[in-house]
Order: sequence, then C-alpha cells, then structure tokens
Amino acid sequence: MSTPARSWTARARERAVGALPPDKLLPDRQPSYMSSWIYIFGVLSLTSLIVVIGSGSILSLKGPGWWHFTGIGHFFNSIHLWSVELFFFFMVIHLWGKYWMAAWRGGRAKVWMTGAVTFVVAIPCALTGYVSQQNFDAQWISTQAKDAFNAVGIGSFFNLTNFGQMYSYHVLLLPMAVVGLVVAHILLVRKHGIVPPFALADRLGNEPVERDVAAEPILPPTPTEHGSVHTPDSGNGVASEPDRVPAEGTS
Amino acid sequence: MADAMTAAIFNLNHPANTVHWHFFFMSVSNVVVIVLMVVVFAGAILLPFPHRGGHGDST
Repeated sequence: MSTPARSWTARARERAVGALPPDKLLPDRQPSYMSSWIYIFGVLSLTSLIVVIGSGSILSLKGPGWWHFTGIGHFFNSIHLWSVELFFFFMVIHLWGKYWMAAWRGGRAKVWMTGAVTFVVAIPCALTGYVSQQNFDAQWISTQAKDAFNAVGIGSFFNLTNFGQMYSYHVLLLPMAVVGLVVAHILLVRKHGIVPPFALADRLGNEPVERDVAAEPILPPTPTEHGSVHTPDSGNGVASEPDRVPAEGTS
Repeated sequence: MADAMTAAIFNLNHPANTVHWHFFFMSVSNVVVIVLMVVVFAGAILLPFPHRGGHGDST
C-alpha cells in the first residue's frame, strides 16, 4: 500500500510548526535582559491598537450622529482619539528604543522592517480618520491635505475631499494593513526572540547576536533543592547565568 | 456649543499657541507631546525595573 501524497495542509502545518513551535509562539520564560521598562512599549502599542480597533468598531456601528450628538458617543469618540494618540506615543518610543539598540541585529531585519512599515502605514490610517469625523475640523484637514497630496502628485489616486473613499480607507483597507503588519511583526518577534543588549553581544564574542540567543528553545524551569528556579543551560554560555524570567507579556 | 466649551478642561476657543524660534515653528501641543515622549523614553532607560520576588529568580 503506497503512502498517500501529502496534502498542502500537511505541508503548511509542518512548515508553520517548524518555524514557530508552540513553546516559541507562546513562551512562558524570557531572557533577563527583558527586565527593563524600554521593553514594555511594544506591548503598550499593541494594547493601544486593540482599544483603537474596539472603539472604532463601535463608532462605525453607531455612526456620526451618535458620536457627535450623544454623551456616550462623545465618550467613545474620545476613547478612539486618545487611544490613537497613545498608540503613536508608545510606538514612537518603541521605535526610538529599538533604533538605539539596533534591533535589526541577528537576522531580525524583517522584524525591524515590518515595524517601520507599520509606523508608515499607520500615519495615513490616522489621517483618513481625521478627515472622516464629519465636522468642520475634518473639512479643514481634508482641504489642507488635499493640497499636500496634489503637490506631491498623488492627488488623482487619493482624493482627500472624497468622504466615501477616505472612510473606506479608514475603516477597512488601512486598518487591515496595520493589523496584518502587526501580526507579522509579532510572529517574527516570537520567531527570532527579542534582541539582546550590546553588552551581552560583546561578552559572547564574535558570534553572539547571530546565535539568536533569545530564540533558543525556551526550556521549562526546574526547581532546585533550595526551592529556587534554575533554567537549563542552552549551551550557548548565556543561559548558565540566571537569564530567564517569566514572560509578562512584554515585547 | 457653549456647554461643550464650558465643559472643556482647557479653553480651546482661540487660535493655536505656537513656539517660534528662528526656523523652529511648532504648536505648543505638539512640543508638549514630543517633550513628554523624550521624558518617558529617558525614564524607561534610567528607572530600575521592579523584579519579581519570592520565585528565586535572581533577576
């Protein structure tokens, strides 16, 4: 009896599990160098994005008459605005932190690129939101932005005064792009692990970052006789030090 | 409209205040946000991260 031809689903599954085994996809331990405030701005950006999507979904359900003329509508309108402000606030600090630690090291170029492109795509996503408010503020912004788009020669593709086009960009196309890029970014972070600090890379000699320390298999902690937790050495000379702490959802 | 204005924490019923120094020209609100980002970034670098106690982690 011959072996049946392997289906594309089996091949896709094996490839996905090979790239991101469950303990890498959902780790419960992280390197100790993650114990710094600078590592929380990725997850803060993600949290803000979740609030942005949630509040925006409610606004799109209820419509402009609700968000302009009712108290609860004003409230959700404000939640949407301020979560966007926080999204950019945290994303810029995340960008600064990753830039100064050269987070593209160790084969993390795609992680860096997906993050940078997310930032770029998020800007028109916010702009189309400002011009979709249905008020004088939106009219002012759309006519000013229209001139800017015409000046750079793309006014025939994106008409800022076309409310229908801007609204569909804002509630469908650009959010899909942002969310898709963020998902890719997070999966790549899970695959490669967070970038180690320069000091650790120097200590490991010439091969440090490329060894992808944080992406080493994350092994479960083993209680010692003193009741403390010891993480087995992953063989790269790094895990022999207490370098894993429980994941707190930071990235 | 008047109710909305009186309900605002800050009076926004005036042209934007700006910071203008030589070539630098920016609204006060944007300057405040950028300064806040720099302060938070510096704090994230300099402030110690609280370590979890009681689990034996030596971090």
